[in-house]
Amino acid sequence: MNMHRGIGLAAFDKEQLSQRFAELSSELSKTQVDNLQSQLTQFRTALSHFATTHRDSIRSDPAFRHAFQQMCSSIGVDPLAGPMKGGWWAEILGMGDWQYELGVQIVDVCVSTRERNGGVIEMGELVRMVSKLRGVESGVITEEDVIRSIKTLQPLGAGYEVLDVGDGKKMVRSVVKELDADQAVILAEAQVEGGWIVEAILENRRGWTGERARAALENMLLRDGLCWLDSQDEHYGQVYWIPSAMRWDE
Amino acid sequence: MALSTHTTPSGFLLPSIHSAPPFFTEQPNQSTHAHLTEKWIHLILTYARHKRLFVLRVEDAEVPGGEWDEILRNERINRRILPQYLSSLMAIMVAKNLAVYEPSKQTRAVLLYWRLPEEWADVLHSWATATGQLNTILTFYEISDPPIQSPLSGIPIPLLRRAITILSRSNRAQIIGVADGEGVRFFVG
Repeated sequence: MNMHRGIGLAAFDKEQLSQRFAELSSELSKTQVDNLQSQLTQFRTALSHFATTHRDSIRSDPAFRHAFQQMCSSIGVDPLAGPMKGGWWAEILGMGDWQYELGVQIVDVCVSTRERNGGVIEMGELVRMVSKLRGVESGVITEEDVIRSIKTLQPLGAGYEVLDVGDGKKMVRSVVKELDADQAVILAEAQVEGGWIVEAILENRRGWTGERARAALENMLLRDGLCWLDSQDEHYGQVYWIPSAMRWDE
Repeated sequence: MALSTHTTPSGFLLPSIHSAPPFFTEQPNQSTHAHLTEKWIHLILTYARHKRLFVLRVEDAEVPGGEWDEILRNERINRRILPQYLSSLMAIMVAKNLAVYEPSKQTRAVLLYWRLPEEWADVLHSWATATGQLNTILTFYEISDPPIQSPLSGIPIPLLRRAITILSRSNRAQIIGVADGEGVRFFVG
């Protein structure tokens, strides 16, 4: 018995075996890959069909749009990315245009009210005014739509940002200047009253000192142009009004 | 509490900003001041055109019961524009050529240009032509207080005189002295 040859033979067998295994595994991968390819193609066709069929509903019905977007997030797809990023999606859905149009309208409202409110607008008012711009036929716009659109405006570097001022109230800031914490509190308290605020409210409800309240309000008034002065108030004498916390009917 | 527009008894639609208490206070912040001043001036001129008011006086903010109450006061929110602020608005309008101090050398009353003197000149000449009164002599009184309501009814004499002076530069009118005052003759233009 030639042990050497036995080993040699065995070795040859091992090599052959592993080669066979190698071939087999690449064959498996190829099969898997082929399968995947075909599944993806099917998926893409189905999704395409779905999107085209329901494009109008997506644009006009906020509840449907919300559900559609939830579904897309769960499979890791962003249907509202612009033509640059979305490519195929944007083409199929035409959502790139829709999104862009909404973004332009948001900027329009923010810029046109900036003189009045100093560059900070209450979310409800923004949604109302954008809806008015769009008209009735184009479907309802929700706060969620606006928030998503504002995210896409961030690369503009113009400071568009959604601010949570507490008590479930949101403001949208469209100027680069940061809103400091005290101003956020003042905005929240002013909203409770319907747009006006005085030092006494901040002292009583928030435990601020007189100096802190006075300084914050005076800065908002004189330095930042974020509020207006009313010097004829029967009770307090001087009252500060914050246009972005006031509800305008026009 | 929503701020809304409001229609006055005389049928004028007030903008919603007129329902905001701070609108009646002169603002310390420069850009807010500029923004609200623009709104006030527009409101004043639009109201003047609506009611055909030609003169605005500081007194209109001092004493209630005048012709400007619907604008200068808001009883619903218990606010009024203070005389100091109105005086400041008048000065800005004069600087922007939207009004003139009339008589001159005082600052308590202005003549409002809700229509510029040049535009009044054209209106005047068109009226004289349309009513077949070219080449006849008319007294200032006959123009500002005609028996039938005209586009010139109620025009203050100083403004009328300005309009006629403008017409005379293009030979469309000539001022003539008449027995008890001033008169004018209009020519084809």
